[in-house]
Amino acid sequence: MKFRKADPLMRDLRRVLPSDRVRVAPLERSIMGRDASIFEGGRAGPVCFPISTEEVQGCVDAARRHGRAVVPRGAGTGLAGGAVPLEEPVVVVATKMNRLLSVDAEQRVAWVQPGMINLDLSRALAPFGLHFAPDPSSQQVCSLGGNVGTNAGGPHCLALGVTSAHVLAAEVVLMSGESVVLGDAGGWTPGLDLRGAYVGSEGMLGVTTAIAVRLTRNPPAVETLLLAFDSVDAAAQTVSAVIADGIVPAAIEMMDKNIIWAVENFVGAGFPTDAAAVVIVEVDGLPGGVAAEADRVAELAVERGGSVRRATDDEERALIWKGRKSAFGAIAQIKPNYYLHDTVVPRTRLAEVMNQVYEIVDEHDLQVMNVFHAGDGNLHPLLLYDGREPGIMDRVHAAGSAIIEASLAVGGVLSGEHGIGIEKRDFMPLMFSEADLDAQARLRRAFDPEEMANPGKVLPTGASCADVKALDNIPEGVWG
Amino acid sequence: MTAKKSLGIDTEELASCVSCGLCLPHCPTFRVTGEEWASPRGRISAMRQVQDHGLAVDESFLASMDSCVQCRGCEPACPSGVPFGSMMEATQAELARRRRVDWRQWGFWVLGHRWLLNLLSRSLAVVQRLRLVPSKRLGLPKIPLVQERLRATGNDVWLFTGCVMDAWQRSTHASVKRVVESAGAGVALPGPGAACCGALSLHAGLEDHAHALAARTMKALEGSAPILVDSAGCGAVLKEYGKHMGTPEAVAFSERVMDVHEWLAAQADQLPSVGERRRDVTVAVHDPCHLRHVQRAHQPVADVLSRYATVVTLDDEGLCCGAGGAYAAMQPELAASIRDRKLEAINRSGADIVASANPGCTIHLANAGVVVRHPLEIVDEVIDYDG
Amino acid sequence: MAVVGGRTQWEIGGQCPEETRLVRAPAGVRAFDPADMTIRVGAGTPVEELDAALAEAGQRANLPVLPGATVGGVLAVGRDDLHALGRGRLRDARLEVVYVGDDGRLVTAGGPTVKNVSGFDLCRLLAGSLGTLGLLGEVILRTWPRPAAQQWLAGPCDPVELRRSMYWPSSILWDGEITWVHLEGHESDVKSEAELARSLGCEPTDGPPSLPAYRVSTGALEVGQPTGSYLVQIGTGMAYVSEPRPIPDADPAVVALHQRLKSEFDPRGRLNPGRDPLAG
Ligand SMILES: Cc1cc2nc3c(=O)[nH]c(=O)nc-3n(C[C@H](O)[C@H](O)[C@H](O)COP(=O)(O)OP(=O)(O)OC[C@H]3O[C@@H](n4cnc5c(N)ncnc54)[C@H](O)[C@@H]3O)c2cc1C
Ligand SMILES: Cc1cc2nc3c(=O)[nH]c(=O)nc-3n(C[C@H](O)[C@H](O)[C@H](O)COP(=O)(O)OP(=O)(O)OC[C@H]3O[C@@H](n4cnc5c(N)ncnc54)[C@H](O)[C@@H]3O)c2cc1C
Ligand code: SF4
Ligand code: SF4
Repeated sequence: MKFRKADPLMRDLRRVLPSDRVRVAPLERSIMGRDASIFEGGRAGPVCFPISTEEVQGCVDAARRHGRAVVPRGAGTGLAGGAVPLEEPVVVVATKMNRLLSVDAEQRVAWVQPGMINLDLSRALAPFGLHFAPDPSSQQVCSLGGNVGTNAGGPHCLALGVTSAHVLAAEVVLMSGESVVLGDAGGWTPGLDLRGAYVGSEGMLGVTTAIAVRLTRNPPAVETLLLAFDSVDAAAQTVSAVIADGIVPAAIEMMDKNIIWAVENFVGAGFPTDAAAVVIVEVDGLPGGVAAEADRVAELAVERGGSVRRATDDEERALIWKGRKSAFGAIAQIKPNYYLHDTVVPRTRLAEVMNQVYEIVDEHDLQVMNVFHAGDGNLHPLLLYDGREPGIMDRVHAAGSAIIEASLAVGGVLSGEHGIGIEKRDFMPLMFSEADLDAQARLRRAFDPEEMANPGKVLPTGASCADVKALDNIPEGVWG
Repeated sequence: MTAKKSLGIDTEELASCVSCGLCLPHCPTFRVTGEEWASPRGRISAMRQVQDHGLAVDESFLASMDSCVQCRGCEPACPSGVPFGSMMEATQAELARRRRVDWRQWGFWVLGHRWLLNLLSRSLAVVQRLRLVPSKRLGLPKIPLVQERLRATGNDVWLFTGCVMDAWQRSTHASVKRVVESAGAGVALPGPGAACCGALSLHAGLEDHAHALAARTMKALEGSAPILVDSAGCGAVLKEYGKHMGTPEAVAFSERVMDVHEWLAAQADQLPSVGERRRDVTVAVHDPCHLRHVQRAHQPVADVLSRYATVVTLDDEGLCCGAGGAYAAMQPELAASIRDRKLEAINRSGADIVASANPGCTIHLANAGVVVRHPLEIVDEVIDYDG
Repeated sequence: MAVVGGRTQWEIGGQCPEETRLVRAPAGVRAFDPADMTIRVGAGTPVEELDAALAEAGQRANLPVLPGATVGGVLAVGRDDLHALGRGRLRDARLEVVYVGDDGRLVTAGGPTVKNVSGFDLCRLLAGSLGTLGLLGEVILRTWPRPAAQQWLAGPCDPVELRRSMYWPSSILWDGEITWVHLEGHESDVKSEAELARSLGCEPTDGPPSLPAYRVSTGALEVGQPTGSYLVQIGTGMAYVSEPRPIPDADPAVVALHQRLKSEFDPRGRLNPGRDPLAG
């Protein structure tokens, strides 16, 4: 599809935004064709960089008048292809709307623009002794609008909950062009929880233009333990035992042998390379409870044959977390590409499903590393591969499907934090009945009757599989 | 050797980016624009579109490439170890070939000829004083009219003096030399052959010119003594001669190159104590990109400096200041927005002065009214040489 | 058609017409794995029964335990417990809901695990829906450990200052003069925080005050002349008043969304007729 200056859509968009903030060059559009997922070569139409709610409304209006879909985009770190544009929609990028609008330290609420980077917010809050609890591993780059879009989680969401529990209200531009505030920054108003329905909607209900986030107080005391085990089973059983003992740590992360080895080579965090698995447990809160819980966690680990290292100071704690957070970097030394999966299983079934994952990966002759949020049963098997090896993607996908099926079979779910996007859209019928999916489509239609917001994602009825495969092509033609 | 395609980027290197985006916040041009084409991931994607998918090299491609400061802040941030600098150098080399005649060729040729540079600089100094050239707008420093003369004092170590820095900031070399000597080493100075390391030519894609300069420099700094460099940009290039030229001599040469602070930090016990002249100044250390991201040797600066002054670190994770060799002159608007972020970080730090081990950064920041000194100038003033 | 729970808030959001067919949701605990900290119950289960079942395993759900009220009723009404400040919101307590839709089909919303972002979050939408979008049949709730110690204190101190000084009180209530604070957790922590509260002017007390009858958002307190008594639930945006207050008008765009949701989920108006969630 070509776009000329005289194109009516372009004319309307340029009425709303200065021309340097509506980009149409083929290269600029093709760059917007992907996010951090494995889906390449989506097709973007005009790429808009609004800086205010009014400008977003203008972009949405223009798109609607010309029958164009709208794809909201944050930092483009999504792993499910949520921000990958299909069929040349207007792409609305929030990165220039990156300001902290207000902080009310007394009420523990901040209003932020959607393009603000997650970590920038917590940095800005440090002087108040507050932070934004969800801390995805991509927090240094992902946007808060994207976090709302995917209902992002992170290691420290075990006790405090994922993004939804930390969003009080969102200002949203609907596909009608109207701007509406969902939820209440003050805490509560009567009515349906529209805010709750909106969080995690992957850009399919509207464009977020401002967010009221709940701020969390920094804990007065923290204890971090590094537990090492001879078997994955013992590690998984310890995780279950901790939960069953009535302890809800701030974080429980698990890493298996392969990743421990890679991380040690990469950053030298002092992880025991002879262990089959390590578990990082962090408890925080008031000193009495923290000390008691840390002792109890250590006891439970030792009972299951584990060895315990307790961080003696902030430096050692930082080193342990550095090991956890360097996982992605460590992988690159082994294979150039990775496919990060994301399913959840009941916490009591962790060991069983992990063993299945190892078997599946063996069957498909692939390599896997596991580094994941064990505390809430959120598996993240990383399949390593070299994309240039012929036929490799078929094996990667086959293994991925088998892992999803194994997770669902024990009462698990499709995704714990990355979302459905394009990636798992066609797996939705495995988890949901026709009636379930129909109900989700109704929610969609109530917000967006014409289905113009980010079409082709999440709900399997939209674009067919053929469209996704067609994503390999890059857009052709000269736009000007 | 893997096959090379239209941009001449190594295909292995080009395939190594997994598009995760973790580099984005570490890229100064992405930070100030928020636009993907001005980010490392976007630039790599653009390179792929051209090299792998045959998209035309058009204005938007050039804008994406030329807006890159080549600070390589994206490299340490990248978990996949993508060698961005090398890919960008290859791209720039190809673009230079396509542009054929580039005025920069002439400009950088001057840098290799010390007498000419000195002559031109001196005339510029005169003209500046007559206010014929708007220095502020061009981002030029005030150039000294009369230069101090440096004399060799031994041959334990070489002090690389370079081109622009030697012509414009020779007093810095003098300070560096005194500090190095105070640690007990005799300093040798290279002849006119080692006039320029070739960094600017390399970044502009003028490979042949860069290689010629490199050959001359290596010849002028022979022997086995460590080669100390007080300009981060030059040091980065000298350390990469081995990689660029691929010859055993070049590899051996690069192994001798050290940032002067690295060398000093290793001789910490030889360094003189703090004299009475120690002032209670708070110094913010600005990490030049070529020290932090390329040489990954920024820590010694703070280590050495903190023996002599109160040192504060900036809270922006070493984000580039926007100077980038000739960048500030070529992309003034972006360079200024990038600098504004740095100025905010400097303000937050509450420091009195800023220490920078790279002349480009010094000039760029000083143009915004910040007091910037070379770290060893600060040390030089505080050391009690008699005591 | 409407579901009756314990009839403790039967008239909230409006009256059901006479001819409405009333049904009861299934009751009883279906599955409870203490080690997983989730429980599956019929929506008609009295919250007291749920609480007793969980207490045996040293756990609890983040639902108000009101005599007579049912799990489905509590979720349909969607009002938070007094301890929302420290324990979190009611809307975050449920993981999965199975409901009967307007066409009589069973619909599952959410998922059984503690973390789930598969598809749209219909589960939260049903919070506060007063049964107007679907009739809740079965729910899976997340459970929490019961704390080892707890303590109420009250006194004439500044609730804002109290909140600022305490780390994680589970509830702070304020009636304009007296502040109540509830602490829970590890024994030594409750003790030290109680000391802190005492230093600010609070003394131990048996429990919270009795609640004025009507719940409003704190925003409503600022509208019109204050009459009667009130109790503010600090940090949650909720307050209780003894005299009914006019509910501030909702944004027309929000009202329109409610209407469109209703017509998508229940075009023929069969589910819980006469109720308006916005009037709750
Ligand atoms: C290395 C790595 C580690 C990661 N770790 C985690 C992790 O620990 N936990 C986790 O949850 N995720 C993780 N992710 C995934 C990703 O970072 C999150 O999904 C994040 O929330 C996406 O934010 P973004 O700004 O990049 O959004 P994008 O990728 O740009 O968009 C994501 C979705 O949100 C929508 N969206 C974005 N902005 C808006 C807006 N303003 N209005 C409406 N819709 C919008 C998009 O349409 C899209 O559907 C990781 C990703 C990477 C690459
Ligand atoms: C004195 C008093 C104190 C209270 N204090 C608190 C408190 O501290 N914290 C708090 O959170 N709440 C409090 N409440 C409100 C409380 O949430 C409700 O009373 C309770 O949730 C209603 O449950 P029920 O089973 O009695 O429902 P009912 O009163 O029978 O029904 C209430 C509404 O919910 C609908 N409904 C019931 N079950 C279902 C179902 N399965 N599916 C769909 N719709 C259904 C009904 O149709 C009706 O519209 C209080 C109420 C009272 C009377
Ligand atoms: S070299 Fe610097 S400016 Fe260029 S892409 Fe990397 S971080 Fe950005
Ligand atoms: S961090 Fe590395 S792999 Fe990730 S997008 Fe940037 S260059 Fe590519």
